[in-house]
Amino acid sequence: MKDRIVHTLQELRRYALSKDCEVALSYHEEDSYLIRFANSAISLNTNEHLIRLEITAYADKRRASYALITNLDEIDEMKRGIDTAVDMAAHTQPLAYQPTIPLFSETFIDEDGYDPDLAQISNTRRLEYFNQAVRGLENDQIRLSGIFSSGANTLAMINTRSEHFQYFKTSDAQVTAVLSHERLKWEVSAEGSAQNVSELEPARLRSELRFLLERYQNDAAQQLPLGKYDIVFGPAATADMISFMNWIGFNGGLMKRGFSFLSEEQVGEKVFSAKFTLLDDPDRPETFPFKRDFTGMERRPFPLFQRGVFQGFVWSQDDADEFSAPPSGHTVSHKSLVLQGGEAPVSALEELVRMPRENDLLYIPFLHYMNIVNPSKGIITASSRFGALLLKKDGTVAIPYNVRLTQSLLDIFGDRMAWLSKSCVPYNTSQSYEKRNPTAVIVPVFMRVNDLEISHSNASY
Amino acid sequence: MLGQIKEHLERIKGAGATYVDARWYPFEQQNYLLMWNGNLKQNSSSRESGLGIRVLYNGAWGFSASSDLSSMGALFDKAFDNARLAAERVTFPVRLAEKDALQAKFTSPSNIDPFSVPLAEKVAFLRDMDEKLNQKGVFQRMSDMFFIRKHIVFADSEGSEIEKLITEVFASLQVTGLDSQGESHKREYRLARHGASTRGWESIERQRFSENAERIVKEMNQVLVADDCPKEDRSVILLPGIMYLQTHETIGHALELDRILGYELAYAGGSFVTLEDFGSLRYGSAKLSARADGSLPNSPGSFGYDDDGVACKNTVLIDKGILVGAITGRQMVEEANVKAKRTIFDGSGGCNRAASFYRAPIERMTNINIDPGEDGSLEDIVRITEKGIILDGDRSWSIGSNREQFHFGTEIGWLVEDGQITRVVRNPTYKGETLKFWNSLSKVGDESTWEVAYVDNCGKGQPNQVMQLGHGVPVCRFDNVRIGE
Repeated sequence: MKDRIVHTLQELRRYALSKDCEVALSYHEEDSYLIRFANSAISLNTNEHLIRLEITAYADKRRASYALITNLDEIDEMKRGIDTAVDMAAHTQPLAYQPTIPLFSETFIDEDGYDPDLAQISNTRRLEYFNQAVRGLENDQIRLSGIFSSGANTLAMINTRSEHFQYFKTSDAQVTAVLSHERLKWEVSAEGSAQNVSELEPARLRSELRFLLERYQNDAAQQLPLGKYDIVFGPAATADMISFMNWIGFNGGLMKRGFSFLSEEQVGEKVFSAKFTLLDDPDRPETFPFKRDFTGMERRPFPLFQRGVFQGFVWSQDDADEFSAPPSGHTVSHKSLVLQGGEAPVSALEELVRMPRENDLLYIPFLHYMNIVNPSKGIITASSRFGALLLKKDGTVAIPYNVRLTQSLLDIFGDRMAWLSKSCVPYNTSQSYEKRNPTAVIVPVFMRVNDLEISHSNASY
Repeated sequence: MLGQIKEHLERIKGAGATYVDARWYPFEQQNYLLMWNGNLKQNSSSRESGLGIRVLYNGAWGFSASSDLSSMGALFDKAFDNARLAAERVTFPVRLAEKDALQAKFTSPSNIDPFSVPLAEKVAFLRDMDEKLNQKGVFQRMSDMFFIRKHIVFADSEGSEIEKLITEVFASLQVTGLDSQGESHKREYRLARHGASTRGWESIERQRFSENAERIVKEMNQVLVADDCPKEDRSVILLPGIMYLQTHETIGHALELDRILGYELAYAGGSFVTLEDFGSLRYGSAKLSARADGSLPNSPGSFGYDDDGVACKNTVLIDKGILVGAITGRQMVEEANVKAKRTIFDGSGGCNRAASFYRAPIERMTNINIDPGEDGSLEDIVRITEKGIILDGDRSWSIGSNREQFHFGTEIGWLVEDGQITRVVRNPTYKGETLKFWNSLSKVGDESTWEVAYVDNCGKGQPNQVMQLGHGVPVCRFDNVRIGE
């Protein structure tokens, strides 16, 4: 298949050259499978096989793109697509800056992240995985929801500047299992991320779900008084907040457009807690990494924050062109963010619950519907969901109804940070909008932050 | 093509499927143009075609889709296989509400196909708007246009054959400025529709955009020098630019029947509404009447027939404050009626939609509208407000997982004291609990304040689907609302 894809792209390149056109061609193929569970049944079992070709045409400072969903037999349709993109570029308005057309100096092929056993995992095995993950945990009131999303993703790119091409192929799986009480409406969840089939861990999910279920079925629920709490965030919550910094944090283009709480003057300054070290690390396979960016630039571990000190902004090629900044290898569809672990020797929820504590701790594993209230101040808002616990200082546990946090990331990752667990996990952040694009952020299993304000507290589940 | 599809529908039905449908997209075109600070940053078009197959077997759904129609039989077989596997885990076998087998066509009202308009004309419009936005105080200026045109052919094993040609036009202007502390503040105008307008290129009226360009620059500059929004309880007067989102998030999503029945629990969330609530829950004050109206001619929430093959309807959701209806499709109404042990829903509400040929349909909003009231114009409402704030423009929104509480940030606020607008404030926010908030609805503007706002990016479902829809809303006032937090 790879040969056929490359051959097709090369033929399209020759076609563009024959017409004296400057184009960049990006091929995306996904073979996606998703089983969705709801009310303890499979509510949808779906698969899509889609091939997309995106053609970007350049005419000096003019640029336009045309995308089509197609298949490899439709070479004439693809050529017409090139004609369309070229025509669009010819009639468009020039940019005020010179857009860079990628120049691949060598062919680069990366299939390290592809495991055919995961990419082609059968319907039966996926169902069996879920059956194992929730065996004995469901009943008339406790119902299963969730997804098992898996598939293969192929990207290939070539342009008229060189005959070299880039080719990336990955497999991935994202699993979410939710057990909810039909009448009381509480929910607990466990999640998984896999790049190869050996990383599927139904037993771990079952263990996490069983523990949370026991707490939710036996511990008293309560409405939390408003005020300040010491909060321990789980991996989903931490990964979500880290991901938001892609937008309002270290993105150079958005900073230039006034949409960041960081400024150029803060490069080299201490912004966050000394416990906070974040990097973009394409050497971590759990993040479905790109080892070259889409302009052909080699990607190496890129420090973003070192012990709280801001190391610098990342720049896509287009932003770099517009703002005369050096491209940093970040013309990619996702980064490989890694928040380094700390010193706390706690790696599982059972351990966290058993840990001695000097005051109450609010455990928030997941933040629902996060949004940006004020980008300049890094203020976000979101609600707790999926298995929050109030770990009381007397060693007992209560179940808090959901609460809302409206807080600045500068506070959350700043000096209020008390500790990070030593143990880290990849948290799958993939979204299935548009093209398949598996992503994960590696974060400490737990992150404790003191004195965070709860601005709303539900009176029931 | 349709002949081949019908042969396979019959074949799969004959092999034991309860129901089969197919959505063939001969084409879906999109065109997006974005001018940012004078640079045409985006000039992109796309075209796709393909086929999506849905099979119901032993009470379970299977779905399969592809752009490659050379092996159509295999695609149908794959969907059938997927349904067979799903049938191994069924707790409430899917049943579909009765419907008429329709042979019908729908074309959205459009005078000028936006895809027939030369690129140069579109770019000239954006350049003109960009120049209008390029004023003192403006740090970032954006103007964009988004066009969709899709041809959908639907056929099912019950004999339906429906053809749709839908055109949508979206456009917006946005400016951002920096205040003296370097904080950014944005103000935006989005194409909204008034009266009996249509949905083609003609809906982008240059004069209206020019006036609004001037207005948003002026208002943004007022925000830049304003004080922060106070933290206190006030009456909030929501203009359509935020009222549409309040309606979307706390009525629309809360009343999607699949959410109520737990089909989104692993992702988008549930709803505080239960089946017992229909017919009795006081959702809002007596001034609140809301509907899912798929019959509005000039909105992306109107599409003729849904992807179950059911004609769009105008369904009352909330009648003078009492919850009476939901956003429904064929599957969910059957399940809800059985689980409630009474007939809440008399057939499908025609709201089951898929965002593309490669996604399976789910309950989606049509036009979730608030009926205009009898409290006059915005000026009339301000005149009788003692201590309030007028809010407009969405800046941030976040809603609890059961839609029970919310936090919104808006672009601008105007304080109202003793019936007079006194001053502009920056960083306005408000929050509340859904039922308490809607029950505090005290004034509803008349027809003069009512406009259809569109949403072109409503996300829901797994795999995710981004849908277009609308909200016809008036100016509304809510009392004793917490602002500024």
